[in-house]
Amino acid sequence: MEKTKVTKFRWFWAWQDDAEENWLEKMSQKGYHLSSVHLPCFYEFLVAEPRDYVYRMDYQSFHKKDKEEYLQLFQDAGWEHIGEMSAWQYFRKEAKQGETTEIFTDVESKIAKYKRVLAFLWVFWIPLLVIFGGRILTDSPYPWWGVIQIIILLVLLLFTYAIIRLLMRIRQLRRL
Amino acid sequence: MITADDAKKYLPLTEATYYIMLALIEPLHGYAVMQKVEQISQGTVRVGPGTLYGVFDTLVAAGLIVMVKEENRRKSYKLTPKGKEVLLGQIKRLEIMTRKGLAATNRL
Repeated sequence: MEKTKVTKFRWFWAWQDDAEENWLEKMSQKGYHLSSVHLPCFYEFLVAEPRDYVYRMDYQSFHKKDKEEYLQLFQDAGWEHIGEMSAWQYFRKEAKQGETTEIFTDVESKIAKYKRVLAFLWVFWIPLLVIFGGRILTDSPYPWWGVIQIIILLVLLLFTYAIIRLLMRIRQLRRL
Repeated sequence: MITADDAKKYLPLTEATYYIMLALIEPLHGYAVMQKVEQISQGTVRVGPGTLYGVFDTLVAAGLIVMVKEENRRKSYKLTPKGKEVLLGQIKRLEIMTRKGLAATNRL
């Protein structure tokens, strides 16, 4: 029998990664098992018998050497690495009784994950702010400068929103 | 050798970090650390691979553990003398906690 593949597009926010994991679990319960991930937010599923899988996401970017160690560690602990999408690492494990289904087992390491996402966002946010600030101060010699200004402002607002939501998520975890 | 004061800046350790350092009294690779932590903590602490990877990273950067062997993509780590000082500092804190805790609750 030929294996059928289905591709879905789904946007997700970094502070809602647990909702993303739940969605992937529900897909597996319906017989759609994640087989690869591609930018921007494309999920490829293999259609097969429904199974109880646990999906978990980490945010990690590293050199090749470190990545081998990292993936080996997850594999030894029973996690299958499905793919990587802009530093988001997708893992899966069969849900079994008595076995831990978490890749992060304390609040500190969960917070550290969101801080890695934040570090990435700051790298873009700061130059965007500088560019936007610079655009406002100079008179626009061309008519399309206004359009660029609006685009930069929208991206800047999106990043600001993401940063605020991530900081809120971290605060929420700290209170636990 | 570092002094007890130098060790203090790393304290208190999280429960996971404490047990991971305790496990690394002998050289072990990642998965062996996970198993040993569960065993020596009598099942009270389990460390997931994401948490362990982060703790390894932090401890190596702080010079509290060091990589001693690399085999089949598995790196083995061991506690450094500095790491041992920090671990002893944590044990002292825990000892005070349990001693005072037991003394106080015994009177209840």
